[in-house]
Amino acid sequence: MDKEVIIVGLNHRTAPVEVRERAAFASASLKDSLGRLLSLPAVKEGVILSTCNRVEVVAAAGDRQAALQEIEGFLTAQESLSGSGGLADHLYIYSGDAAVRHLFRVAASLDSMVVGEPQILGQLKDYYLAAQEAGAVGTILHRLFHRSFSVAKRVRTETGIASRAVSVSSVAVDLARRIFDLLEDKTVMLIGAGEIGELVVRHLKRQGLTNLMVTNRTFGRAVELAAEFQGSPIRFEDYPRYLKLADVVIGCTGSPQFLLRPETVAEVLRERRQQAVFFIDLGVPRNFDPRIHEIDNVYLYDIDDLEAVAQENLKGREGEAHKGEEIVEEEVAGFLRWLDSLDQVPTIVALRQRFEEIRKRELEKSLGTALKRLSEKERQALEDMTSAIINKILHVPISHLKITPEDKDEILYIEALKRLFDLEEK
Amino acid sequence: MDVFLLKITAVIYLLATGSFILYLVLPKDSLSRLSPLLLLSGFLVHTSALGIHFFYTGYPAVAQFREAFSFYGWLMVGLYLLVQLKYRLTVLGCFIAPLAFLISLAAFAFGTGSGEIPPQLKTYWLPLHVSLAFLGNAFFALAFGVSLIYLLQEYQLKNKKITVLHKRVPSLETLDRLNYIFLVWGFPLMTSGILTGSLWAQVQWGHYWSWEPRQISSTITWLLYGALLHGRITAGWRGKRAALWTIVGFAVLLSYFLLGEAVFQGRHGGRFE
Repeated sequence: MDKEVIIVGLNHRTAPVEVRERAAFASASLKDSLGRLLSLPAVKEGVILSTCNRVEVVAAAGDRQAALQEIEGFLTAQESLSGSGGLADHLYIYSGDAAVRHLFRVAASLDSMVVGEPQILGQLKDYYLAAQEAGAVGTILHRLFHRSFSVAKRVRTETGIASRAVSVSSVAVDLARRIFDLLEDKTVMLIGAGEIGELVVRHLKRQGLTNLMVTNRTFGRAVELAAEFQGSPIRFEDYPRYLKLADVVIGCTGSPQFLLRPETVAEVLRERRQQAVFFIDLGVPRNFDPRIHEIDNVYLYDIDDLEAVAQENLKGREGEAHKGEEIVEEEVAGFLRWLDSLDQVPTIVALRQRFEEIRKRELEKSLGTALKRLSEKERQALEDMTSAIINKILHVPISHLKITPEDKDEILYIEALKRLFDLEEK
Repeated sequence: MDVFLLKITAVIYLLATGSFILYLVLPKDSLSRLSPLLLLSGFLVHTSALGIHFFYTGYPAVAQFREAFSFYGWLMVGLYLLVQLKYRLTVLGCFIAPLAFLISLAAFAFGTGSGEIPPQLKTYWLPLHVSLAFLGNAFFALAFGVSLIYLLQEYQLKNKKITVLHKRVPSLETLDRLNYIFLVWGFPLMTSGILTGSLWAQVQWGHYWSWEPRQISSTITWLLYGALLHGRITAGWRGKRAALWTIVGFAVLLSYFLLGEAVFQGRHGGRFE
């Protein structure tokens, strides 16, 4: 049977941001990574999910134990590309219903540090599509992910999670208001064009922010964003000169090195006559050296810090989250029923039943009308003959199913049979 | 009569203290209105006590240390109520109300003095000097309060521990600006307090300076606050540094108040030769 769903990964709860950064998959080489994942002998299908908060491999596999080991090795190898070991301590492993439940919870944003935040579903869809394009998605993951999307939709519409979502960005805004009195007369600099950075700026705008500078490695993107938020675009090589004007600096780039060092910031503070600066580091890996936080009148929060603060707000939403969990449970049960139905035996039984039903119905119809006057013996012969026809027809497909248990296509055949003959449970 | 009213004042200040503490702990908005109102009613009783004293003696209640101390508490509460009216800084009351209560208590505990002051000292130099100096000190008490709150807020932001209590606290920018405003008001008042004191001493005893502990501690505080104000205006000192500096200055002031008068009994302790 190669229909075990497996998830190996780490998230904001099990690993600090440094470890997540090391384990993260670069989007440019995602296709290669998917290729390597699929080349593992026990892995039949695979999707890689790599966001700021989680790195997970979702796979469908035959041999559970072998697949777990291979995927763990795959992730550890990923990490060793960029440095020291110790990844294994942070990994969690789910299989079977626990894996299905986990993915549904992730999609519904129940597993997010900021429960109900909307970004995760979009990210999940993107990574699913990337895997699909790379040919890494088969019947099981196709079904699993599509179910997870609809679970997310259900949770969003049937519970109050989303409407009360307190996202990382609103926490950032809240903190800004604890440092600064009014945002109207403050200047914000956005470095990089990451999605979360945009979200924070949007929140700040809503709080009255008017002065915004936007910089990005590709100047065109900076111009676009600046136009969107009525800010001023700044060339990437020029932004250090403008730092002294900024009261809030948001870093949201994918730069592998720190953009700002404590010495630079200390100098900027001198130029600003010690007026406070709030640094918000949304980059993965981090954009700002954490030591910046130690400077007087400077406050640096990275995405982990913001999430930790957001967790305070989580408590009020436990009721809604609970409803969400119930929906997830329902859907897990539904998916598992479908997964079970992919077994050969029930499929063969169902297929036989289907043919048998047709045979019986047609036979009875004929025996009730045109063949009404047949003798008992003749009726018996007719019965045997039709049964034999069915058996002969089904013999080849069924024996094919039975001799291909290790074949990757087994599930495909089963799924095809179920569709062709309408064997799906209602 | 006025002593009885002062006792009632102390009790109301204690009640206000309780209310302010509840305001910190309970998420009830009604407490943010009730607490300053309690403090205000204490202030009104306090005012009538001082008024009655003035009515019967024809002289402000500042001659004895006990009276002066109580008068200081009255100025501080009054000033806080004005600030509350303008800035809605309820959280500062959590610090002012207990301080007002302690001062009322200390006024009873410390203030023995030596009875009536000599009639030749009953000039208006005394109330003028005391009012100016104490008003300056009252501003410093408020500056001290906002500095403590600043440090609390700063500590939470630096340690990334954001508590519920935190939500009651104004922004760092506001707190720092208030520190500056209180300092800008307090410093000239204190300066005038010192100047009138010196002039009065010159008129009364023929010397500006007599190495009294109060004079020394006032001068230290004056230098500290002067340096801070100078640093703020010219060198851009602010934030944590300004807050710490304010706290040190006020600690010198307060330590004199609470210890100095008991240990060294000079003119400021009510002993006029």
